[in-house]
Parts: sequence; C-alpha cells; structure tokens
Amino acid sequence: MASSDTNLADRSGSLVESHKSYQPRVIFFYFVIFALLATLAGGLAYQQLFNGARHRDSERVQNQRRILVPGPRGNIFDRDGRLLVGNRPRFAVVLYLDELKAEFISEARVIRRNYAEAGDKDLPTRDQFNQIARASVVQKYLGQVNQILGRDATVDRADLRKHFARQLLLPYTLIDDLDPSDYAKLLERLPVRSPLQLYASSTRFYPYGSALAHTLGYVGVESDIDAEDFPGEDLKTFKMKGTIGRDGLEKTFDGKLQGEAGGTIFRVSPAGYKINPPLEKRLPVQGRNLVTSIDIDLQRATEDAITKIAGDDMIGSAIALDVKTGEVLVMASKPDYDLTRFTPRPNHDTIADIEARQAWANRPVSSAYPPGSTFKILTSIAAMRSGAINPDEPIVDCEGTLRKFNRSFVCYNGKGHHGEVLLAEAIADSCDIYFYEAGWRASPAVLANEARRFHLDRRTGIELPNETHRMVIPDDAYKQKVRGEKWYPGDTANMAIGQGDVLVTPLEMACFAASVARNEVYTTPTLLHRADAPAQHSDPIGLTAHQRAALLDGMEGCVTHGTAAKTLALPDYQIPGVRFGGKTGTAQVPGKKNVAWFITFAPLENPEIAVAVAIEGDTPNEEYGGGRYAAPIAATILRKYFEKKNHPPAFVAPVKPS
Amino acid sequence: MLPKRFDQARPFLTLALVVLAWLVLPVVVKTFARASFFELQAPLGVAASYARDLKEYWTLRLHSNSELIEAGRDLARLNASFEESVSQNLSLQAEIARLEELLRLPAYANYRSEHARVVRRDFSGWWQRLVIRKGKNYGIPAGAPVIFSGGVVGRVTEVHAYTSVVEMVSNPGVRLAAFVEGETQPISFQGGVNSTFEVPKGVVEFVPLNVFANASNPKRLVTSGLGGVFPPGLSLGTVTKVEPSTDGLFKTGEVQLDPRLSSLVEVTVLVPLNPE
Repeated sequence: MASSDTNLADRSGSLVESHKSYQPRVIFFYFVIFALLATLAGGLAYQQLFNGARHRDSERVQNQRRILVPGPRGNIFDRDGRLLVGNRPRFAVVLYLDELKAEFISEARVIRRNYAEAGDKDLPTRDQFNQIARASVVQKYLGQVNQILGRDATVDRADLRKHFARQLLLPYTLIDDLDPSDYAKLLERLPVRSPLQLYASSTRFYPYGSALAHTLGYVGVESDIDAEDFPGEDLKTFKMKGTIGRDGLEKTFDGKLQGEAGGTIFRVSPAGYKINPPLEKRLPVQGRNLVTSIDIDLQRATEDAITKIAGDDMIGSAIALDVKTGEVLVMASKPDYDLTRFTPRPNHDTIADIEARQAWANRPVSSAYPPGSTFKILTSIAAMRSGAINPDEPIVDCEGTLRKFNRSFVCYNGKGHHGEVLLAEAIADSCDIYFYEAGWRASPAVLANEARRFHLDRRTGIELPNETHRMVIPDDAYKQKVRGEKWYPGDTANMAIGQGDVLVTPLEMACFAASVARNEVYTTPTLLHRADAPAQHSDPIGLTAHQRAALLDGMEGCVTHGTAAKTLALPDYQIPGVRFGGKTGTAQVPGKKNVAWFITFAPLENPEIAVAVAIEGDTPNEEYGGGRYAAPIAATILRKYFEKKNHPPAFVAPVKPS
Repeated sequence: MLPKRFDQARPFLTLALVVLAWLVLPVVVKTFARASFFELQAPLGVAASYARDLKEYWTLRLHSNSELIEAGRDLARLNASFEESVSQNLSLQAEIARLEELLRLPAYANYRSEHARVVRRDFSGWWQRLVIRKGKNYGIPAGAPVIFSGGVVGRVTEVHAYTSVVEMVSNPGVRLAAFVEGETQPISFQGGVNSTFEVPKGVVEFVPLNVFANASNPKRLVTSGLGGVFPPGLSLGTVTKVEPSTDGLFKTGEVQLDPRLSSLVEVTVLVPLNPE
C-alpha cells in the first residue's frame, strides 16, 4: 500500500513537472484563443460603442407601442353664441384584451384538454386553439354585459381576430352607443377594477338638425390621426379613429376645429401585451371653437319660409348679409339633409335619400342661374353711369312689343303695355323693353364691364368649399370663343334683362344687393363673426344723388306697387315701420325649370341687411315668378330680422373664440 | 444538531415553507379557510359589539336620578316632536301617494328595510367599510344598498352567517350612476382616496359641460335609480367643485360626503323584494 502511494506521488509529480515544461503547441493555442477573445471583445466593443444607439433604438421599437387618441373637435357657434355644432359623448362598453393574457392561456389549456378527453382526432392547430380561447373568454365577459342589460349579443369572431392581430393595445368594443339607462346600469354593476370598462368618445352633435346643413358641413372618419410633438413617431402606433371635415365649414376650418391628439407610450411584453404604467402620456385637447356670422333664428325662419312658400323639396337658396360688414346672416339651401343622421356615420339609406332628392349641393354657392330681371338694377347703373339714359327721360314707349333690328322684342312683364315709363317705374314694373333700349344705348361692353366691376364674374371667396366658377358675364369675345358666333343686338337685349348667357350664383346676387345698398361696387362675404368687425368699403358706384334716388325709388316701387306688391301686401309679409326696396326676377332657362328671384335690402334710408332669394320652379318652362315665390321669403327674413332687432331675445352669454 | 448558521435562518425557512404551502393549496381549500377564518372571527366582533352596548347601558345606569329624570323629560319632548313628525310624514306620504297616483308614477316600495347595528368600521386610506350585525340570518343579499339618515352608506359586498360587510361610498371601489340635482344626464360617482381623519370625499366623472358647482354654490348629488341597485333620489353628498377636462367633452369634480359616515352606529339595508 505504501509503495503504491509512493509511486502515485512520483507519477503525479512527474505529470505536474511535464506541464511545467515548454510546449510550443500550447503556445499556438494561446494565440488562437487570444485572437478569438480579441475578436469577441472587438465585436462586443463595436456593437456597444458604435452600434449601441442603433440597438437601443431597435430594442425600443421592439418593446414599445404608441397609442394615439384623437382630441374632440371644436364647437361651432352662431353670432349670438348659440351652439350650432358640438360634441356629444358616446359611451361604449369595451374590453381591454391585453389584460386577459392569463385567462386566454388558461382557457386555451382547458379547451385543449376537452378536445383530448373527447378523443377528437381532428385537432385544431395551436393558433386555432388560441383563437377559440379568446372568443370564449370575450364571450364570457360579453355574457356579463348581456346579463346586466338583458341582451343576447354575441362576439363577432372575425372582428375579434382582426382586432387582436392589429390593435391589441386598443380596447375592443363590445357594445357601442349605449343609451343613458344602459350606461347607468353598467356603471353601477360592473366592478371598478375589471377588464370591462365604459369608454367615452365624442361624436358630432347637431342641436338644430337639418338647419344650415350645407354651410356647417359634416365630418367623416379619419384613421390617420397625427399627434404633433408627441414622441415615438418611429414606434408601432395604434390609432383610435378620429374625424375629418368633409364639407362646409367643417372642411374649410378642419385645421382649426381639429383637436390635438393625445397619446400614450407603453412597454409591451414579447407577446404584445401592455405593461403598466405607461412610459409617456398626454391627454387629448379639444380643437378651437368657431364663431360664425350666422343668426340661427333667421336661418330657421328662412328655411321654414322656403318650405312653406315654395314647397317641400323645392330647390332654392336664400342668403342674407350684414350690409356693413359682409357677414352672412343666413345661408339657406334646399333641399337639405338631416345632420343628425350623419352621426356616427350616414347609412346607405341616408345617402340614397340625399342623392334622390339632389340634396348634396349647397345651392347659394354651387348653382349658377341667369339672374333674370334682378340684373336690371345693374343695367340701370351701367346705363346711367355711361350717360346712355337719364332717369327722368322716357327712352321708349312700351306697347308690349318693340320692332327693332328686323325682329320683335317682347316685354314679358306687361299684361298690357307700360307706355312711356321713366327709370323708377321701369324698375318697379320690370319693363323689359325699357331695359332692352337701355342696354342697346349703353352697349354690351359697358354692361359687361359694370358687371365685372361688381365682381359678378368671379367667385366671392367665401369660406366654403365647392364654390362654383361657372358664373358668366358674356361679351362678344366670350360668345365667339364659346359658340363661335358673333354678338347680335338680341344678345345685348337678353343681357340687359339678365337672360341669355349671364350666369351668377345666389350668393353673388346677395353681395350685389349689399353693394348697391352701401352704394359701393363689391362686397366680400364672410361666414366668420367678429364683434368688432370693421365696415367694408370698396369703390363708390359713381351715381349722382339724383340717379341713386331714382334707382331706390324704382326698387321701393317694386315692393309697394310693382311686381312684388301683390304678394307683399299680404299681412304675413308686412314689416311695420321699415321702408325697403327690392327687385323681382323670373329667369327663363329654355328647356329647363324657371328660377324665381328677389333681391332686396332694408331699411332703404340706412341699409342694414341685404337679401337674395332664388327658387327653382318644379316644372320646365312653367312661369315661376319672383314676386310670387321669392319675394315673400325675403320679406319673411326681413320681418324676422327687424322683429328680433326691436325685441331682442333673452341674453345669451357670448362665446369667446378660443 | 443543525449548524448554527442554518439555525438562524430557520424562521425564514419556515415562513417560506408556509407561503409555498399556501400557494400550492387548492383554491377550494383556500376559499374555505378564508371563510372559516371570518366566521370564526365574527362572533368576537359581535360579542365586542354587544359588550359595547352593555358598557353603554352600565354607563347610563351610573347616572343620578335627577339626571335620569332630566333625560326622561328630554326624551319625552323628543318623542313628542317625533310623533308630530310622524303624523306630518303620514300626511306627506299620503300626499306623495296622491301625486304618484295622479302622475302615474311607480310606487317606491320595492325594498324591505332591515336596520342593523355597526359592529366594526374599517376606515383607512386604503378602504372604507363596515361590518354590520346582520347577515344571512336576516336574508341580506350581496349587492343590497345600505342607507342612513344622511343618504347612501354603500352596498353589501359580503354576507356571512350573522354579519355582512358593507363597502362604503367613500371607498374608491364603489361606483354608481348619479344625478346632479335638477339634471337628467347620469354621471359617474366613485369614492375617493380618503385619509383616516378627513371628511370623506368622492369624485364625479362624465359631468355634462353645462353643470356648474363650486364651494359657494354646491350642488346636491343624488342616486339616479337607473343602475338598478340604488333607488332614485338618495343623497350621496354635495358637488363642491367641477372642472372641465382637457378633452372638452366632460367635467370632472369633487363630492363632499356626509361626515357622519365615519361614525355610523346604525344603518338600514334595503333588501330588494323582487331581486332580478
């Protein structure tokens, strides 16, 4: 035993000794190992020192998710601070799927075991097991809601699958647009700490239904909301749906009304589930408010009057302007649509109904018509300014027809004949022959230039989308270009009475009426109200006092004993203590429906409000007189305006624009 | 003998083993253990409550005859005023019934009142709850609303054999649908995070923008009755502050609750007569 121990000691000593000896092969491996370690260290240093930022970014992008929530849109008010468009809360019961990870796993295990126990050989895939489990868990929670509300809603599996794959961090909506009673039941009976929660979002609210529908416009769904200055643009982002203005003021002022989106950045688990608390959070902020120049009382009175006088679903426009500032008080367009049917979104029936009634168009700015006899005011101005006529001189003897230039020209407004009329009577009775003669004497170029001076050949620039550019002030060059024909005296006659190729929008005629009221050449309309809005000014028309008096006499005569007198004599259209002047028009569009026109302003001595009304007839080529159909609507507006002015309603706190 | 180092770690090891054992125990056993523990503990609380009553009785017995006579007089006066109030209430109830009949309003008789003494109050920064001296033995169901003379106390969350646990409205875990008096849109009321010795507070959310309230012009907050748990019109407190939220959709606010909530000795459980 002792000898063997000795041998072992000797042997081990020799082994130790052998390692101590110089071994070139080992030295070689030292180099190899050193080189490998150096490579690793170099690689590590490279990745850490040079690529560190990139890896940090990759890690961040991989582990963090951003949720954006749109801010509510700003409100729209009328000039007195009454809410025209606001936001209505919209409650939904939602399920936070990312809080159910453990339940999904557990349920999947149970389902898998059930399949195994049933001996089913046709087993679903792992992914299918997970989907079944998710649907089962979500249905369980929906069952709780069903029990409280007495419903029998079921989970839409395809929708759930899509939501889970694409929007896991966003709450999954189980039941949307709860009524107050259901909302209260859930509020009281759902546990405070539960994956089931009540979620409030906003949807547009229209307290006046269809009133001012075209001007206010509507909003559509916008999926691509943006949160300026909110970090994490490079992160995977989940966006709640927002809104975007699609028409009217909602579209024009979308940038102002649009709320500031809020956001949250979460760290997520490898499976994509949220880890609380959030790394970054910003609350959404409501958009800025808009105070319009509209007077909703006048607007509603106007729309009611159009329906009452012209009839249901007649096509028509009525515009009222503040003469001094150009602010639009009324902008009615018929037929219209009920804005409340646009929340949360219009259905197919609504769209089909609007299309069937041709109710999409905002007529005051998108429809161009011949202005008919309302254009005679412009012809009068052009002829007087050019010295072609003298208001005290009877330029023709109207006998119903006039033979000139080898053809007959008919006076469409005289039942018998007007005889030798002066300008004022010609305007009051709308004598066509007088204005044919005035047009010939002034020349078509003078008429066209005067119309251009009043900006009747261009858009008004009002803050609305879709203002047409189809307005036409024809001259010989225009006719040559468009029709390839030369200009005839008959064209001048047509132009002088607002027929032929002349096309203007109702809004332009309202601006024209306001300009004449101010004795200036153009008015820029605006839909925005400013309490301290300055009076508008443009070049004076350039009539002498005598000429202007004759013009105003004619316009007053129109409503007192002329073409509008018969209708306006009715008690409903009397405006006690207010002198006003106007001009009727009946535009005949060959083969199409006639258009009844009326332009007016009041009070005559110091005008405050100017109105233009254009109503399309419903039967082609049927006489549709401005005095009968348009004038009473304008008179209703004036009457309401002065009633309100003399008996102002209870004070409404003005809204300070933000 | 175990080494000294292990000997020192023995309590920690034991604790770890107990925790591990608790974790691996089946859920049924744990639930049973918890319930048994509460039921075992409950008689002690009830006994302590009776003992307090007895103490109060003997405290009263120690008063002098003249004091008792004086108290008797006061009580007689109080009784007289109560009797008058009762007769007034009867005539008011008759008037209410007449008006309800006239307006065809549903009669408010869907609950049975069960009065109960408070055994214990847990009134901390974490939760506020009461243990009352009635449970299954009086047919009290979980979820039943609990009220007192000042309005809502809370709702029953646990029912045991002889006791029940009431989660108070001052508890952040309680939420219900309420009306600001005079309004018709239901808003969310939730208990707040309250310190032990402060007047309890709650919070209101989803308040419409047209509701205004502040300390000098507080608004009464009442139950809406829409949620189906609490009957309508019960007082919750007063809204003393509302502020618009940044999203511009709603306001949020603060509700001052009845300070007597922290010193309740008697409450009434409204037991639904026709539970859903």
